[in-house]
Amino acid sequence: MAISSESAAGTMQEKSLAGTGSWMFSGPLIMIFCLAALVPFVTNDYWVLIATRAAIYWVLVGALNLVIGFAGQLAIGYVALLTLGAYTTSVLVAGNVSPPVPVFGALAIAGVAGAIFGVIVGLPALRLRTFYFAISTLGFATIITQIALAWQSVTGGGIGLPGPEMPAPFHTHAGFYFLCLTAAGLITWMTANIAHSRFGRGLIAVRDADVAAEATGIRKARLLMTIFVFTGASAAIAGGLFAALQTYITPDAFTFDLSVLFFISVLIGGRGSILGPLLGTVILTLLPEFAAPLAAWSTFLYAVLLLVIVLVAPGGIAALLDFGNRRVLRANRTIVPKAALVGHLLATDKAKSGIALRGVVLSFLGVRAIDGVDLDVEAGKIHGLIGPNGSGKTTILNVISGFYGPEAGSIALGGEALKPGDSESRASQGIARTFQTPRIVGEASVLQNVMIGGTIRGQSTFVESLFCLPRHRGDERTLRSEAMTALSAVGLESLADIRADRLQHSELRFMEIARACMARPAFILLDEPAAGLSADEILRLGQFLKAISRQGTGVLLVEHHADLIFDICDYVTVLNLGRVLAQGTPAEIRVHKEVISAYLGG
Amino acid sequence: MLASIIASGLAVGAVYALIGVTYNTMFSASRVMSFTAGQLGMLGGVFGSLFVLRLGLPLVVGLVLMLVCCAIVGLITEFIAVRPVLKSLDQHLYVLSTLALALMIQQVVAVEWSTEPQAFPRVFGTGAGGILDEKFWLPVLTCAVTICALELLYRRTLTGLSFLAIAEDNFAARALGLPERNLRMASYALAGMIGGLAGFSGGQLLLAFVANGPLLNFYGFVPVALGGLGNNRGAIVGGFALGLFQQAANFLVGGIFSSVAVFMLFIAVLLAAPRGLFGGHLARRV
Amino acid sequence: MPISVAEPLLDIHGLEAGYGKIAVLHGVDMTIGAGEVVTLLGPNGAGKTTLLRAISGLLPWNAGGVAFAGLNLAGIGPRETARRGLAHVIEGHRIFTNQTVTDNLLLAGYDVPRAERDARVDEALSYFPEIAAKRYDRGSTLSGGQQQMLAVAQGLVRQPKLLMLDEPSAGLSPVLVDRVLAVVTKLQKTGTAVLLVEQLIEKALAVANRVYALAQGKIVLQASTDEADLPRRLEHAYFGSEAA
Repeated sequence: MAISSESAAGTMQEKSLAGTGSWMFSGPLIMIFCLAALVPFVTNDYWVLIATRAAIYWVLVGALNLVIGFAGQLAIGYVALLTLGAYTTSVLVAGNVSPPVPVFGALAIAGVAGAIFGVIVGLPALRLRTFYFAISTLGFATIITQIALAWQSVTGGGIGLPGPEMPAPFHTHAGFYFLCLTAAGLITWMTANIAHSRFGRGLIAVRDADVAAEATGIRKARLLMTIFVFTGASAAIAGGLFAALQTYITPDAFTFDLSVLFFISVLIGGRGSILGPLLGTVILTLLPEFAAPLAAWSTFLYAVLLLVIVLVAPGGIAALLDFGNRRVLRANRTIVPKAALVGHLLATDKAKSGIALRGVVLSFLGVRAIDGVDLDVEAGKIHGLIGPNGSGKTTILNVISGFYGPEAGSIALGGEALKPGDSESRASQGIARTFQTPRIVGEASVLQNVMIGGTIRGQSTFVESLFCLPRHRGDERTLRSEAMTALSAVGLESLADIRADRLQHSELRFMEIARACMARPAFILLDEPAAGLSADEILRLGQFLKAISRQGTGVLLVEHHADLIFDICDYVTVLNLGRVLAQGTPAEIRVHKEVISAYLGG
Repeated sequence: MLASIIASGLAVGAVYALIGVTYNTMFSASRVMSFTAGQLGMLGGVFGSLFVLRLGLPLVVGLVLMLVCCAIVGLITEFIAVRPVLKSLDQHLYVLSTLALALMIQQVVAVEWSTEPQAFPRVFGTGAGGILDEKFWLPVLTCAVTICALELLYRRTLTGLSFLAIAEDNFAARALGLPERNLRMASYALAGMIGGLAGFSGGQLLLAFVANGPLLNFYGFVPVALGGLGNNRGAIVGGFALGLFQQAANFLVGGIFSSVAVFMLFIAVLLAAPRGLFGGHLARRV
Repeated sequence: MPISVAEPLLDIHGLEAGYGKIAVLHGVDMTIGAGEVVTLLGPNGAGKTTLLRAISGLLPWNAGGVAFAGLNLAGIGPRETARRGLAHVIEGHRIFTNQTVTDNLLLAGYDVPRAERDARVDEALSYFPEIAAKRYDRGSTLSGGQQQMLAVAQGLVRQPKLLMLDEPSAGLSPVLVDRVLAVVTKLQKTGTAVLLVEQLIEKALAVANRVYALAQGKIVLQASTDEADLPRRLEHAYFGSEAA
């Protein structure tokens, strides 16, 4: 029996390999689980119990890794969901409130309860900054212990109640261990699949570049809710297993220290990694066993570790193991985009009519940032937008891409009104953009960053990705090859596997353009793409943008570099104090008296 | 019964409000919300009990020592957990660094002091029992005095004006030549004392108990969420409202569900009014 | 070549600075003599604001150096530069809107001895009668132009040797621009040097002794304001890549 479980874990690892396609990624994970499967054969029951505990913790931490490590939401009170799962399972099996339920049924119900509460606790994360979410999980952890203590008729109060008894063949130490190890393997496989899907990339985009995430069409609220459901369910099932391991549970068993262990495991493991947090969980579970005299101070040690990680080594274990990125990159690299490849990049199935702004008005704190602007961006043309600082150029991009809803006026695409302030819908309507300061995921590879841009073109659902079904694999293949094409087109293909934060500033600008192209947009809005580029790079950028417009894609270009604007634009709009000062061809603008005086400031 | 609900509601509300002010004072100086705010409340009680009951010092000496110790904890927060992460505020690393420090404080107290609630000295020893007991009015009085002192500081002194200036526009304040770092440290010391006072004045009510730390972290933040970040008046109103709501729920639906009610209220407010009921900061993102 | 300046008050050489990975200033050289009014022009994104921030210590620099009144400013923060007589009025009239006009000025005099503070505030207000009349009103009740005057007045409270003004005319009506720039002329009579960053070229040139133009992080032109074909040279410096 033990052997069959072991092989089950083995097949899962093989699938994981298929899903992620890289021995570098799955090799160490498979090795850890193979070693773990040997534990009952080479040690005694005591160590099997410790290993069982580590496996159960990983069922929770592995899922929590998506919330903390990928989505960057600082959930510090997840012991609450462990508690919820433990009590739900135990109470249902004991039959305190209903006829006794079989263990696996109770575990399933606990999973549903965990999913529901996972969402409730996660709600503040949708609208507010990280600290609020941290506090709401902390609050949930605080009240759930109070409830467990006070609701004596059901939970047994401070006296507690027995944990569920597992049916054969899981009633032995080894049997239960293999059950938990299987669950742990399953979690590893599923989270690895998510990590290598548009959902996983969406999460890290939300974490590190949420504005860019919106502009690429990632639905933050829906994505986070899905993750909270998954993590809540996993955590509660871990709780049920935990109760079975404890054989008897009281509120004392669920101290905040456990929560600390969970989230610190993820953080010392490293954000955006799976191997790192797995090692973190194993290490933190074993640590008190090897340092018995320190047991009372274990939380203190964890806290010190956390502080060290935050202040000194933000990458955690994963960064230590990331040998690939130790390679020294050549300094002063120059970028040579291949404009000829643009044709492969931007398909032609797009609306041919333009973006039209009419009488758009927007104020900040009573100051009119844009004051009645009319603007037309045509398909296949490059439209330059220039003007002094504070004249409203970037604000216009933000209105078009839906970050602000205008107070008056309208924005239309191809004659149809665009919903004001709905930034997440723009990508699917064919509008992509870049940012004045590149908004990128520094810890992800260049290739992953570019693949983020193709989020809206993915077909598979979350569940399909979770189980690595065919549509998910197809998505990954397509996105990967398109992203490589995009990188070749901007001349960054040799850096595809490099962490994005190691790139030069100019390379980041081109990477953002590649990302924007991944959505196959009908229009691209560029916010000062030439800032920080050398004169040669600006020339090549100009040629590249021309190539984009020749594919029928409209370009709206906000830029300070007058020579670039006059060189490549078909049409130029000059803004001053939120109003249109002049519009016309570069030749007309160049001799426009008012423009010269406004631009020079006369 | 109504009288006792109001008395105890106002009393815990005053403690929550003061912790809320502690959060705000730190936030105004640095745009950072610190998990040490609740721990300072816990420390106020523990230091009070330590100095007065365990070491037998006179009450006034104990109070002053408590204030000094809490101010130092405030300064340590600034130095260890806030200053190193200020350069990358947008990464929210302060959540982790202040949490790490808060956990360290909590663990030291748990090991070196006690994990059980310990008695707290009576300050005036008058009106024992009943709704006129000092445990009910002392927090309210402390809260009122603290607020008046803060108002005087902020309105009448140049240092207070500088606090407000760095809260409103840190960059402009630095450009003007204000000693921003010193002012930030002073704010953290001040926050430490306010948090300490919260725990000290509520000592009879909450006792000197290590578990008050996370509890006050949560219940002290609710008024901030209600009143809006950095808004002290909002925190005071929110604190008293929370105290009364909690005690009323306690009486009406019992202990189990009053905490659930508070939690649900918190989530609901965050969703309905993310800037708090009285407005507050929400940064421009693009 | 600059007009002979015996002892430059401000001496910048080879200054390089930027934000994170983005280098903005690529080796800027500039001098300002005591009591001299210098205008710094340049297109958007040229690095004018960055230069001012680097001088006043708001932004650390990567290479080069700045000396002010004979003192090396390397590693010195805005508080110290302000104490040494270098006042920086930042762009966008960022006054403290929740505080009164007087309080705003008192804050600017944080390091001034207490006894002198009120006199300094009165003196600064004497330049701007229209905000002196509103001295007990909150900053938020002032108009944009009045807020800009208040910001300039904040710089005056220190009685600086050098006052740096970053686009004081932005968003102001022409009449108000004249009012603010008139103060520059007045200040020069008291021996205060002024470094003026401006978009309004003609007005800025009218009050200045010398002019520098900055483009893409480098000084592309420096001249005395009485030189003949200045506007044409400026246009070249702005639009053409061929630096004048």
